[in-house]
Amino acid sequence: MVVNSLFLTYEVGSLPKLNARMKAFQKKPLSPEDEEELQTVSARAGLSPQDILELLRRPGKTGRRLTAEEKTAVINFNALLYVRLQEACCLDFVYDGEARRSEMYRHVAKDIAGFEDLPEMIRSRGPDSWRSSVCVAEPKLKEDSLAGLILDEFSQAQTSATQPLKVPLDDPYMIAVMSDNRYFLEKLRSVHVGEPKKLRYAAKRELVLALARNVIRPQVEALVASGAAWIQLDAPAATLDLEHIPILVEGLNECVAGTSGVKFSVHFCYPRRVSLIDKSGYELLFPHVLNLDPKIDHFSLELANADTYALDLAVFRQYADQRRFEIGVGVVDITLEKQLKGETETPEIVRRRIAQAVSVLGDEKLVYVAPDCGLRQLSLERAVRLYDVLVEGTELARRG
Amino acid sequence: MSLGIYLAGPFGQSRELYRIRNEAKRGRGSAQAVDQRIKTDTNLVLQKQKEAGVSFLCDPLFSQYYLFQPFVEHIHNVSAGSQENWFNNNVFFRKPQIPASAYRNTSLVTSSSFTRNYHHGKSDVAILPSPFTLLMLSDCSGFGNREEAIIKIAWLLRNEATLLVQEGYSRIHYDEPALAYRQSLASLKPTDLDLLKEGLEICGQIPGATTILHTYFGDIGPLVADLVHLPVDGIGIDCTETRIDDLIAHSFADKELVLGLVDARSTALEDPVELAATSHAVEQRCQPKALYLTPNTGTEYRGFTHGLRKLELLAEAKRCYGGQ
Repeated sequence: MVVNSLFLTYEVGSLPKLNARMKAFQKKPLSPEDEEELQTVSARAGLSPQDILELLRRPGKTGRRLTAEEKTAVINFNALLYVRLQEACCLDFVYDGEARRSEMYRHVAKDIAGFEDLPEMIRSRGPDSWRSSVCVAEPKLKEDSLAGLILDEFSQAQTSATQPLKVPLDDPYMIAVMSDNRYFLEKLRSVHVGEPKKLRYAAKRELVLALARNVIRPQVEALVASGAAWIQLDAPAATLDLEHIPILVEGLNECVAGTSGVKFSVHFCYPRRVSLIDKSGYELLFPHVLNLDPKIDHFSLELANADTYALDLAVFRQYADQRRFEIGVGVVDITLEKQLKGETETPEIVRRRIAQAVSVLGDEKLVYVAPDCGLRQLSLERAVRLYDVLVEGTELARRG
Repeated sequence: MSLGIYLAGPFGQSRELYRIRNEAKRGRGSAQAVDQRIKTDTNLVLQKQKEAGVSFLCDPLFSQYYLFQPFVEHIHNVSAGSQENWFNNNVFFRKPQIPASAYRNTSLVTSSSFTRNYHHGKSDVAILPSPFTLLMLSDCSGFGNREEAIIKIAWLLRNEATLLVQEGYSRIHYDEPALAYRQSLASLKPTDLDLLKEGLEICGQIPGATTILHTYFGDIGPLVADLVHLPVDGIGIDCTETRIDDLIAHSFADKELVLGLVDARSTALEDPVELAATSHAVEQRCQPKALYLTPNTGTEYRGFTHGLRKLELLAEAKRCYGGQ
């Protein structure tokens, strides 16, 4: 139940998997630090980890792999732990830290017929990487994949949580950008001979719309039927191709078409502040996002990374007479470099950032509070510390 | 004229390098293990290049995460700013923050730590940012104006390039995506080419090395007439975005020409016969001092196996060219 009425807080998406889980799945012995991490976080979440700890110790001691049932038990515990952890940290909207998903793109791509994996992980930022796929045929959800993809996860989170849920889903544009679009490029090559720019636009649009209709909307519809009240579509790649933003909007609208009774938000991050054109940052989304389906009324934004709140948010004020969006203000930087440097925001910094957002947006009711992005690249200890700073800073802001 | 081939940028990481790197990131492995694997993979990729018959060896740059990283980490007073997308790729860089004061100390650019990033194996090609791209993607607000900034940046690059030549490199690639990108988005400013030229007048000629201005991530066709007059030894063209017709209208008699005909960002494999035929047509029309076939940029965007396939493709295209 949400008890706060102002500056509601939420996690954007992912948390790092438990080290003990990863080691046990690799048949490696747990270190004292792994066990301490599990015990500390469990204590914070109000759960007893003893049974699961015994299970996790076993592969390293005996060299015997966990069975499928045992792995499921571990994953279930990890997901429950993260729901309870977020509640213990006093976030207003919670989810399971994507504990059942391998990684945001891969989690969906593996269930798309028409996608083939590339053999290696692709570097993205520092040591972070992702497993890319090649689109080789019209993309569709594989048969009977909805349960494993989203429904079981949502059902477990519903059972585990007392706070309301916000469910993160990939947006089709992000999947398209992170994939090699071989199928539609080949399909349309003869239509756009000698026009590489037009070919790329047309091919990406076809891929995004196919993903929206065949892969994302079925998940949205299933979630709505199961009682989801808030669905977040993750669009971290929104501004990658500056001329393709209309495709992003069209794809998002296709995802939510025909649904009702559910709140939709979009998460945007790293919005080309160095754009090399006259507009930059979240300005690049305008005016295109004014054409978003009215059901999409909330943006979660990365802002702490650049720490230029007034500049980044000005465009939302500029277009406020045409359309007003709620803004989930990113108040803590989630990059690995900050962790390596040992730098963390203080509650006072968070309070000040919220105040800046209110000042620019001109309406405190539009402001929600969140981390810049998912936290999966960080240590769990740091992730919890960021939650604490975020919640304490938000409390300061509520007191005014 | 013969057709040379080589790789021109970062190579995709192997499964094992990813695994070791991820373990180190999560505190479950060591930095030493990462470095060891980088050396192993580097030697493997260099060996594969030799077997393919490349004209120049290119370090796969496994230890470097983004083009500007050596500058940000090793040049005194330069720091890493916000995390930004590298053009239209799901890959990130840190925006360099270059204060005017960074350049008052003339000794900082001779730091040997800078070149260590390149030295896991013997290579010929060094990849540096072009002064214009480094300027455009950095925060240089501490300078009085952009001319002042690019002059300082170009001197910095010149010193680094000179140092690299002393270390054994014979070919300096100045990577120039910003110009092609702006051209493609119709956002080119009248002063852009002037700034680039001003920078290259300082760092474009390096004794003992051949310098290439390597343009990519955009259609550079409308600017080819200007590029051929720039003070560098050769020009690289991203032919996956630039129409060949816009290229062959120009003479490259005084320049080497590096044809980025192979799409580094696509797993689709080009037809080697077609690559050879196009290269031949370009050679006939442009009459360059030397002609090389390369991917349009580094092959890092689709992984290790993909990079090897594109390397084999270059070798096959070279064979086809020789048979024509």
